[in-house]
Amino acid sequence: MLGKLSIRNAKRQAKDYMIYFITVILSAALMFSFNSIAASKDISELSSYMNEFGKAITGISILIIFVMAWLIHYTMKFMLEKRSKEFGTYQILGIEKKDIANMFTLENLVIGIVAFGIGILAGVFLYQVFTSIIMNLFQQPYQIKITFDPKAVGKTAIYFFGIFIIVLLNCRRKIQKTKVYDLLYATKQNENTMIQKSRGNVFLFILSFVLFGIALFLNHHEFSSETEMKPRNVFFAIVLAIVGIYLFYISISSFIVKRYLENKTKKYQKTNLFLYRNLTSKINTMSLTMGTIAMMFIIILIGGNVALLMNNMLNNEIEMGYPFEIMVSSPDGDFSQYKEYIEKNAQVKQMYEYQTYYDGNLYYMGLSDYNHLRKMLGHETVDLNDDEVIIHCLRTLKKKYEDQVKQKGETTIGDKKVKIKEVRTENFGQLSFNGDRFIFVVPDSLVDTVKAEQERICKGTDNFDYNSNDFGYRLVVTTEESTDETFYDELCEFIMTKEIPMTQEIAGEEQTFNVSISLGNVMTKGKRMSVTKSFYTMVSFLAFYVALIFVMATATLLAIQQLSDSEKYKYRYALLRKLGVDELTINKTILKQLFYYFALPMLIPFVMSIPAILSIAIPFKIAVSMAEVWQNIVSIYSLFMMVYGIYFVATDVQFIRNIESV
Amino acid sequence: MKKILKVEQIQKYYGNKDNLTKAIDDISFEVEEGEFIGIMGASGSGKTTLLNAISTIDTVSSGHIYLEDQDITEIKEEEIAQFRRKNLGFIFQDFNLLDTLTIEENIALILTINKVPEKEIDEKILEIAKKLDIENILQKFPYQVSGGQKQRCAACRAIINQPKIILADEPTGSLDSKAARQLLEIMEDMNRTMKATILMVTHDPVSASYCNKILFLKDGKIFNRIEKGEKNRNTFYSEILDVLALLGGDARDVR
Repeated sequence: MLGKLSIRNAKRQAKDYMIYFITVILSAALMFSFNSIAASKDISELSSYMNEFGKAITGISILIIFVMAWLIHYTMKFMLEKRSKEFGTYQILGIEKKDIANMFTLENLVIGIVAFGIGILAGVFLYQVFTSIIMNLFQQPYQIKITFDPKAVGKTAIYFFGIFIIVLLNCRRKIQKTKVYDLLYATKQNENTMIQKSRGNVFLFILSFVLFGIALFLNHHEFSSETEMKPRNVFFAIVLAIVGIYLFYISISSFIVKRYLENKTKKYQKTNLFLYRNLTSKINTMSLTMGTIAMMFIIILIGGNVALLMNNMLNNEIEMGYPFEIMVSSPDGDFSQYKEYIEKNAQVKQMYEYQTYYDGNLYYMGLSDYNHLRKMLGHETVDLNDDEVIIHCLRTLKKKYEDQVKQKGETTIGDKKVKIKEVRTENFGQLSFNGDRFIFVVPDSLVDTVKAEQERICKGTDNFDYNSNDFGYRLVVTTEESTDETFYDELCEFIMTKEIPMTQEIAGEEQTFNVSISLGNVMTKGKRMSVTKSFYTMVSFLAFYVALIFVMATATLLAIQQLSDSEKYKYRYALLRKLGVDELTINKTILKQLFYYFALPMLIPFVMSIPAILSIAIPFKIAVSMAEVWQNIVSIYSLFMMVYGIYFVATDVQFIRNIESV
Repeated sequence: MKKILKVEQIQKYYGNKDNLTKAIDDISFEVEEGEFIGIMGASGSGKTTLLNAISTIDTVSSGHIYLEDQDITEIKEEEIAQFRRKNLGFIFQDFNLLDTLTIEENIALILTINKVPEKEIDEKILEIAKKLDIENILQKFPYQVSGGQKQRCAACRAIINQPKIILADEPTGSLDSKAARQLLEIMEDMNRTMKATILMVTHDPVSASYCNKILFLKDGKIFNRIEKGEKNRNTFYSEILDVLALLGGDARDVR
């Protein structure tokens, strides 16, 4: 009989808490599909870096488990409170507390098992979708095949039921501890009003904004400063922001009371009175939860943007830094062995050797080399008069240099005055291979001057950075087909075995030493692509995983709060109806109520995160343009709004249905 | 007659030293087997607190309550569930039926947790349900039947296990007058023909007139007690009204 009761209760719970149920199913599906990805051979073999993906998924699972535990714990605690009278009745009828606890456990396990089962099935499908997306990214063919990895099922089951069992044990303890009196009379207790303390709360409200201001300022200061970032200050900013968020949500209810309910004209407009009271009565008890939700939103919004920024940066770096398939620099300018090796192992289209020059401050290259490289990349060649130079810089720096040229269109090379003809920004390896973010292109007649300048610098000072081994000798290769990771590894191995004796005059003395070649001297686009793709896949998928679970969990929590109170609201709205408010106005009021309720925890994250993101984006500016930063913000925000919006609409629909049902 | 319930000088305090509320201030009385006893009083007079103390929902600050020979103020926490299901039956103002179970299952639940053999359950339910006029709705769920029917189902649930005492807290509070009268007649019948001992808290003089003994509480003390004896219900009813008038200003709260 008790078993039957449990099953029936479970069914009812699943219906009453439909949104929660669906969220648990989706979470199980996501967990399973990600665990399948972690276990998948197809994916880990895509590149040497994709091995890390599995580990990263396992790591991030800890975070997911915490959030899911939070949601499930909150919901079960909530169910217990809502059903206190029912549990009181069980006790009054003489059912042992142990049996009541067993019933509750069974009930929730039934819900858990059903959700897990459906989740796994959905997860199999999701896994196929994710895998084909990843395979597509790596341009690998993929046949859809229904796989069912028992290891992934096991892992998901451990996570999932681990959460359930821990939460249930906690609830059991709670049930064992409660007194029947409290259960039967719990609903009659009044909530504390906070209006008496209103002045203190208005102070807290203002204080919270001051804290936000300081936090944002600190954050901006640290990310924009030229010197090294102090993690301590960033940490301090985070702490201030967290305190501010909680203060804000603790005090906002009083603020609403003060702003609207003490203002008679606002108060009596339409159904405002009803609406604000519904809202404030809830925020009082919800302030801490709201604060936590707001914090999770901030994490999603900022975290998502940082992930996209990193992706942008990596992608743009490929374009900016790797215009040629193979790029090698050498200390001695002897490329013959490399050329031989490359010609043997890659389908070479064109190959070119040249030199760039460094005068201790700026980088230079000659016009004919420059034009040759341009031709290799398919750009038109350029002409220069003998007294003209070109600045070739990253496209993100174009405006900066154009402004400088407008102010002062001249510079000196050696002792010759030259005019800056133009600023060009084609992707040309100017990130670090050809120059350092920018390079001066000089007419061939001036090449000897800059070369002499470089030699003077090398000999005359011990400031010159020997570690970089960079004397400007360059080899670039274009190929018919992109090279792969193995080519890079073998090329490196080949080059690394070579040690070059160098003679330099340091502080007036001639010294000879061996220079070994560092990995930085060899770059291939194929290798870099593979790294970037792996990183891109990992960051995007993990960010998506975490963000989705966070949004679903928090939105579900809000939905549960509102829907399970629909008993109370049913009475309130029925009263409104009896007082002569028409159906349309009631539906509008409901929509408004839910909107405020859902919008409130979003308020601070949306306002706070944009300036924070803009500050964080500053160090990325070198490779990421402002337009891309805004594009990221818009896409993250709209994705967030979409998921959140689905939950909002579902809650509204269910809410109206609950209110109308007799 | 055998004494079922003996309440001995019980007190119940709320609050602290400086602000002490005496919800029950030294109440003693006895209930004999087969009695239908009513407890009346204005709101705040302590009647629900008294009922809660007897029904082990709440504890007392001092004094003793004996059910037959067992002191229920000293029952251990782990024995309390067993004690309730063996000795007590409850009828609440708001029914407290489980809405996931049908009416029949609500009643059967009590029998199953008392480990009555399964074969006897149906028979027992049908027998009592007939007396209470709910045999037609046994297969329905609580939300599908009227308040009066729900309360009769609760009454059926309270008596089916033949508890030593049935405790009723404002059982007619949520019912219309016709359903209330029907329920009271049934309770009267349960008392007479099934020998159920009933203790009912009410502030409704009509309900109270079905009892055969009434205690009046005021400010946590017993203010008066009257017995029906051989009087008919109408005479008893006017007697109740007289006592309520005596209760003074508070009588306005009573009805």
